[in-house]
Amino acid sequence: MGYPQYCVLERLKASALKYPDKVLYNDTAETVTFRQADELSDRIGSFLLSKGVTKRPVVVMTGRSVLTPVCFFGAVKAACFYAPLDHTVPTARMEQVLSVIDADVLIADKSTEGLLPKIGIKGTVYMLEDMLGQEPDQSLLENAWNGLSGDHPLYVIFTSGSSGKPKGVVTSHRALDCYISAVAKVLRLDGTDILGNQSPLDYIAAIRDIYLPLWTGCGTVILPKSSFAIPTELFKLLNSYAVTVLCWSVSGVELCAKLNAFAFGKPQYLRTVIFSGSVINSRYLRAWQDALPGVRFINQYGPTEATASCTYYEVPAPVEADTVLPIGRPYENYRIYLIRKDGTMAPEGELGEICVGGPGLALGYFGAPELTEKSFVPNPLDPSSGELIYRTGDLGSMGPDGLLYFHGRKDRQIKHMGHRIEPDEIESAAKAVEGVDSAYAMYDREKELLYLFYTGSASSKDIVLYFRANMPAFMVPRRLVQLEAMPKLPNGKIDANSLKQHFI
Amino acid sequence: MEELMEILQELRPDVDFESEKALITEGILDSFDIVSLVTAVMEHFDIEISPIELIPENFDSVESMFALISRLREE
Repeated sequence: MGYPQYCVLERLKASALKYPDKVLYNDTAETVTFRQADELSDRIGSFLLSKGVTKRPVVVMTGRSVLTPVCFFGAVKAACFYAPLDHTVPTARMEQVLSVIDADVLIADKSTEGLLPKIGIKGTVYMLEDMLGQEPDQSLLENAWNGLSGDHPLYVIFTSGSSGKPKGVVTSHRALDCYISAVAKVLRLDGTDILGNQSPLDYIAAIRDIYLPLWTGCGTVILPKSSFAIPTELFKLLNSYAVTVLCWSVSGVELCAKLNAFAFGKPQYLRTVIFSGSVINSRYLRAWQDALPGVRFINQYGPTEATASCTYYEVPAPVEADTVLPIGRPYENYRIYLIRKDGTMAPEGELGEICVGGPGLALGYFGAPELTEKSFVPNPLDPSSGELIYRTGDLGSMGPDGLLYFHGRKDRQIKHMGHRIEPDEIESAAKAVEGVDSAYAMYDREKELLYLFYTGSASSKDIVLYFRANMPAFMVPRRLVQLEAMPKLPNGKIDANSLKQHFI
Repeated sequence: MEELMEILQELRPDVDFESEKALITEGILDSFDIVSLVTAVMEHFDIEISPIELIPENFDSVESMFALISRLREE
């Protein structure tokens, strides 16, 4: 049977034939081979199809295990698209995501079952363990994809939204293929490589660890979250699984250097480290470079809406404290435009908004056509071409070296611990706390601290407790400053510069 | 111990440090909490915490952290 061009299932089938008994995922407790992943996902797909579940979102709330990506593939085999739900965030946050996705099917497993009574789920819940008992039904599976194309949605992944609600980025099989094919080439992966997964599996950064094996025959070790608090343990794991490539967030890379992990060992099999999510601190990158000469370090840039990353830059030499790393060049099949306010192209050295074009773009935001229309717009440089580009809201410039440079945000969006945060979302959460009259969120980039300035009678502890109960950990303000009144500019806007004086 | 408690409470006001005895093992403190904690403790108590000391046994409870700090201060 054939899947349409770009469909990830074609890659899964082909790799299962080519490397049947090779380990695809290893979570340090269990493994699945390429063939097992294909067969187990047949069971999950058949289960869903037998219940009439097809061509709709399926929420997946399963643990950090080898079966989670298998579950994603299973949903895809039923021609559904998956919406991974982070079960480590407070239940109120999960409910917020669930209210946006409004799905009628949720898959849980033994490790997340206990959360089910605590979250309001209006749809049907299926247990992964039960689904795996389903006999595969090849005729159901073969028919599921009839008439569909590679533009079919693959997943919806959530990111912070400025309206105070998370927004779901819907990505197609074709867009994923565009990115994964390009990054596989840059990483020069082959069947001997082992990736060390850091990112939570529900998060955008995990798509590299999940899908690169299907394209290249490499394997992925899903590292236990706890090992990241214990650097000696982390490096021991990387060595015992002979991990060769890390596709990590900048915060994960910096963490090892901050904890001085190289003093007592190093990951000896590493060939390449590729990082993204925020601007890396040169000091920490240098610590990696000094400890691991001969390892390739690659900086990546890009939003979830362009399927993880759209540009890359291989760091050619040890960096100095004042080195400004370019974000480099577009990946294959991506187009980058720097567009000024007046809709014209920014000349070399001048700032423009970074806009992305090409088949790697997301389909749009889930259930939010207006928001989609605002961010995915006709290319003003060539309106007659009909090309849609994604406006990142990031500022960039083209250097004389022909490389792109990143210059921060057009708006107030914050990048913290690899996650995007809309300050509006923090502020509306704060205002939901009794006794908070006004709130303003800011980020001290140097110290990597999220600040919340507020007026009202609430104590800072009340506010933090509210955040801990309702928001993901990376959105909890680390410094709270109670003010008599918000400092205002003559135009009535909040005077952010004067608030910066409170940074310690 | 009091100073340590203050640092911890400022870091994570939502955690009951008096009763939690498996802060790392149970994942109550995540890797980013550890970075902030280690930085604050090194600065405040003027000690060096080597990565070899970053094991659950040294950070699972306030008592074990205090024991570690006391030991490092004597060294």
